[in-house]
Amino acid sequence: MTSEKIVEATDVSLAYRRTRHKVSSLKQTAIDTINRRMAYEEFFALKGVSFNIARGETVSVIGRNGAGKSTLLKVIARVLPPTSGRVIVRGYVAPMIELGAGFNPELTGAENIVLYGTLLGRTPKEMRSRIEAIADWAGLSEHMDIPIRAYSSGMTARLAFATATDTTPDLLLIDEVLSVGDEDFREKSAARTIEMMNGGCAVLLVSHDLEAVKKMSTRAIYLQSGRQKVSGEPAEVIEAYLSDVHH
Amino acid sequence: MKVYDSSVRQIPVISQVKSIYENRGLLRLLVVRDLTVRYKRSVIGVWWSLLNPLFTTAVMFYVFNTVFKSRLPGGSPFLPYLLSGVLLITFFNQGLTIGADAIASGAGVLTKVYVRPEIFAASASISSAINFAIGLVPLTVVLAIYHKTPTWRFPLVLAVMFCMILFTTGLSLMLAIAYVNFDDSRSLINIFLMALQYMTPIFYPISVLGPHTRDVIQLNPLTSFLQVFRREFGNSAVSTIHNWEIMAGTSLFTFILGFYVFNARWPKVVAKL
Repeated sequence: MTSEKIVEATDVSLAYRRTRHKVSSLKQTAIDTINRRMAYEEFFALKGVSFNIARGETVSVIGRNGAGKSTLLKVIARVLPPTSGRVIVRGYVAPMIELGAGFNPELTGAENIVLYGTLLGRTPKEMRSRIEAIADWAGLSEHMDIPIRAYSSGMTARLAFATATDTTPDLLLIDEVLSVGDEDFREKSAARTIEMMNGGCAVLLVSHDLEAVKKMSTRAIYLQSGRQKVSGEPAEVIEAYLSDVHH
Repeated sequence: MKVYDSSVRQIPVISQVKSIYENRGLLRLLVVRDLTVRYKRSVIGVWWSLLNPLFTTAVMFYVFNTVFKSRLPGGSPFLPYLLSGVLLITFFNQGLTIGADAIASGAGVLTKVYVRPEIFAASASISSAINFAIGLVPLTVVLAIYHKTPTWRFPLVLAVMFCMILFTTGLSLMLAIAYVNFDDSRSLINIFLMALQYMTPIFYPISVLGPHTRDVIQLNPLTSFLQVFRREFGNSAVSTIHNWEIMAGTSLFTFILGFYVFNARWPKVVAKL
C-alpha cells in the first residue's frame, strides 16, 4: 500500500504567452495585428519537471522566489493545466493554499463551512454533517450563526484551517507550513498538519523554511528558473541550494 | 477513487456539461449564496431584487408615457408592455455580467482549488432567472390594474427562462475570456450592451419602425425572447413561430459555442489571473 503512487508528474512544462506591453488591451492588439508585430513571447514557468510521490512520502520543493514553486503546486492542484508532459493525481486533494479563498463574508460560519468544503470537492450533505465537529475543533461553536464579516482575521483563519483539514486527503498540498491564530491554535494546527502528514497521505510541500524541509521531507526538489536542478535526499538538495544562494 | 490525468482529452461541451451536472450540489449552493447574499442585508428581503427593474420602469414610464406621450397601437396599455421589457433585459444583463465578472475575478478560488469555472456562469444565469421569476408577481399585479390576467399559456415562460439561461451562460463564458485577455473590454462591452438594449423593443412597439429598421431589430435575438415572453405571459405582443425558432436556435447555438470557446481558451488565460 505504501508504494502506491499518488502523484506522477512526467516531463511537466508550463509555458504562457507574455505580452511585451504592460497592459493587454483590445486597442493594442488591434494596432499590433495591423502592424503584423508579434506582441507575445513564450515564458516557461516550468520546464521538464518529473517526480513521483507515493503514499506516506513528503516531497518538498525549494528554490528562490519566482523559481516556479507555486506554479508547480497549482499544476498538481489541477488549477493550471500543463502545456506539455503528463500529470496523474489519484484521490482526494486538499490544497492548503491561501486557506479561506471562497469564503463569503456575508454568509454565516456554518454556511461557509458547507460552501468551502464543497468547493474543495466534498459534498454539501457530507459537509452539513460535519459543521458541529469543525466548529468545535476551531473553537467557534458559539459563532456559527453570524456572518463571518463579524469574525476577526484569526477566527476566519481558524475556520478555514479546520474546514480544509477536516478529512485526511490522499494528497496534501502545502504552500508554507501554516501558522494560524494565537499561540494555542498555532500548536494545535501544527500538530494536526503533522498528524495528517504521518497519516498515510502523500504530501507536496513548498517552503522557504529549510529546517522544516530537512525535518519533514523524505525527498526534496530544487527548482531554478522552472527547471529541476537537483533532486533527492533533502540534506543534499538543501546543500546544493545553499551553495547557489551564497555564490 | 478520483483520478486526474492531464493527458486525457476532454470532449468539449459534453464533458463540461457533464461536470456541471456532477457538481450540481455546488451549483445549488452557489445559486442560494447569490440569492441570500443579495437579500440578507436588506429589510425588504427578496423584493430587493425588484427595486431596480421597478424603479427603472417607473422612470421610463414617466418619460415615455407622460413626456413623449407615446402610445401603443390598438390602445394596449403601455405599463405592462414596458415592465415585461425591463424585466427581461434585466435578466439578460444580470446573467451575462455577473457570470463573466465572477469568472474573470477568479471567483476568489479558481486559482487556488480545482473547480470548473463554468459552474459560476451557470449559477449566475440561474439566480438571474429566479429573480426574473419573482418579477412576474408585480407584472401580474400591473396586468390586473388594466383588468388583464396572464394567459393560460403562461407556463411557456419557463421555456423562455430556460433558453435565456442557455443564452447568458454561453455568452458570459466568452465574455469572461475577453475580460481576462483585454483590460479595455469592459467599457466596450458596456457600450455594446447599451446599443443592444436600444435595439430591443423595450419601450417602443415594433410597428412604429420603418421596414428597414424593423428587419434589423428582428435580427436581434433578444427581440424574439421579448416578443415570445410578452405574448405567452400577458398577451401584450404578437409573436410568431419564427420568434420561437430564433430564440431556441440562438440560445442553443450560443450555449454550445460559449462552452467550446471557453474550453479552448481557458487553459491559456488562467495563468494570467
